[in-house]
Amino acid sequence: MEDSELTMPEDPQAYVDQVMAEIAEEVRLRRSSGDLPPKLERELDELFLAHSPVAGRGGDLGDALRMVDAATFIDPVVPVESEKAAGAFVKKGMRSMMLWYVGWVTHQMSQSASAVSRALHIVDQRLLELERQVEVQRVPGAGIVEFPELDGADAWWVEPAVAAVAKAPGRVLHAACGDGWLVRRIVAAGGDAYGIDPRAHLVQAVELGTLDLREEGLAEHLRAVAAAGLGAVVLSGVVEGMASGERAQLLSAIETRLAPGGTLVVHSVSRDSWESADAPPEADLAPGRPLRPEAWCRLLEQSGYEAVAQVGRGGADYVVTAVRDTITAPYAPRQR
Amino acid sequence: MNAAAGRPVAVHQFIATLNPHDATGAHTLLLRDALRAAGWRSEIFAEAIHDDLASLAYKHWMYPEHATEGDVAVYQFTTSSAVAGYLAERGVPLVLDFHNFTAPGSFEGWEPASVERATKAAEELALLAPRAVLGLAKSRFSEEELRRAGCRRTAVLPVLADYGRVTAAPDTRVAAELDRLGAEGGADILFVGRIVPSKAQHELVKALWAYRRLYDPLARLHLVGGTASFEYLKALEDFVADLGLAEAVRLPGEVSDAALAAHYAAADVFLSLSEHEGFGVPLVEAMAAGVPVIARGAGAVAETAAGAALILAAGDPSYVAAALQRVCTDDALRAALTAVGTARATELASGLAASRTVEAIAEVVGR
Repeated sequence: MEDSELTMPEDPQAYVDQVMAEIAEEVRLRRSSGDLPPKLERELDELFLAHSPVAGRGGDLGDALRMVDAATFIDPVVPVESEKAAGAFVKKGMRSMMLWYVGWVTHQMSQSASAVSRALHIVDQRLLELERQVEVQRVPGAGIVEFPELDGADAWWVEPAVAAVAKAPGRVLHAACGDGWLVRRIVAAGGDAYGIDPRAHLVQAVELGTLDLREEGLAEHLRAVAAAGLGAVVLSGVVEGMASGERAQLLSAIETRLAPGGTLVVHSVSRDSWESADAPPEADLAPGRPLRPEAWCRLLEQSGYEAVAQVGRGGADYVVTAVRDTITAPYAPRQR
Repeated sequence: MNAAAGRPVAVHQFIATLNPHDATGAHTLLLRDALRAAGWRSEIFAEAIHDDLASLAYKHWMYPEHATEGDVAVYQFTTSSAVAGYLAERGVPLVLDFHNFTAPGSFEGWEPASVERATKAAEELALLAPRAVLGLAKSRFSEEELRRAGCRRTAVLPVLADYGRVTAAPDTRVAAELDRLGAEGGADILFVGRIVPSKAQHELVKALWAYRRLYDPLARLHLVGGTASFEYLKALEDFVADLGLAEAVRLPGEVSDAALAAHYAAADVFLSLSEHEGFGVPLVEAMAAGVPVIARGAGAVAETAAGAALILAAGDPSYVAAALQRVCTDDALRAALTAVGTARATELASGLAASRTVEAIAEVVGR
């Protein structure tokens, strides 16, 4: 590629800003035309993950130990193949002469590695035992608790949520997306959104087409998202039943994945709705109880968001919209 | 020490490793020259010194032989080092010149030793920051970390760098090889930086794959830089092979200044999808070399670019591919990015940055 006669725009900075908007539009069109299906991008992620070390893939100690065991044996018989005619002969001669010494050294190394491996297997056993004991006292993670009359495309809070993420500085994630009702609304409004939901039967029943819905849990998904990789996150049916520790972990993960200036939208039911007779049984089984909207605002403001709550008619539910701080310009910014 | 206490005789610098091929090494050498030009005695003390710079620095434990009453120490903080504990024990008035370091989490699952080193670096920052009379950060992003660590007085000043090295005479052999590749057609995409998980070279490979599939089937990616993570390098190489991109992704390793100049000269676009940058010297090098820059706005990247690059909010392959296509085919955009980039590089390369750094130090330690 050659830079021949380059034409300089009148206001370079304004032109760069305009181009950013056009690139976002190009991506939206490409995605909706199916040129690069979301499935392919996910397969790329999975392919790279397959090459990362066991620990990087979230694998267990057993997998790592199998790799250690496989690497414990060190072969003292070095290969002698060569591209040159006499090479193999020379290498074979050297191998014969040095085999006793090399064999002695590799034997010591193999023994040492075996000793380490044995110790690690003992650690593995003890950890398994410990895990069994901890399991008895485990606080279960909260599942998705949906109140059908308060969720769905016609719910009052959908309009403000779609407006809040309209100018998000990146992709919009809807957690517990169900059949993609909110993702469709955001995409129809010109946004770039995708959804995740661990309930396989819901995601698999959808005719995806160009819709990007994934069968995945929220915590697992956020671990795989790069820092500052999301423009906005919408949580619905997710946070009400969380215990405080799980909620803190979720907020911490979202904080690092959300780009500066990004938006977090939290929809939750009120405590009265949660405890009403017609609440779904998952509400009783959850380890936590819904926070009040004021508590969400306080929590998010402490994490550096500017948060505003809106309560639905009758106080049955509410939505909190929070915008993350941006980092201001650095030393000597150019004036436009 | 303050102005009333009088002007210190010497302002010495301390650093973990003095290396001619990294940004901190170059910064330290340029700051030493500026400190000497301001009339101070100034030497460099390091835990490890590259052979090429052996005559320019002393081992840190040799400092007592050079110490005088009222010395000030400037610590170039990049990673965990024995120098941190050494300075904390000596109690010399300390200026913390903070270059930021990659968070331990970025190495998790890849390099246990690097996780430990980064964790120790965080502990050492917490040890030194409250003791420092001044903390110099390379970006507002880093300044926030310094303040969180307990530094009471801070200033934001850019890295001192000789951006002229990328516009100097290129290595003719490397240039000829890159010309030969360029003649085959397709864009040449460049990234310069250590091959480690936080620089996210695997994201660059994904972007190349998408770009070749959607727009330019002959495009190439040049990943220049040494590695401190062999696990990551191996995973990257295997990933490239699996995608059938072995011919399209070049990994020349750490290169000389002349070879680096050749890579910048041959590049159509500089692309960075790093997950963490405390400043990002290669971004400015690319601007100085007249190469348009596309970067994900992680860490201090947007601050360093200050409007002179296409800053992406997301690193999705399709998004990056669209940005690459636009930069490689839109002459007006290339001209705009090159113009604002050159201006930004000139602004950061001027001697003003060095004199402002010296002034900031003088203000707290006495003129």
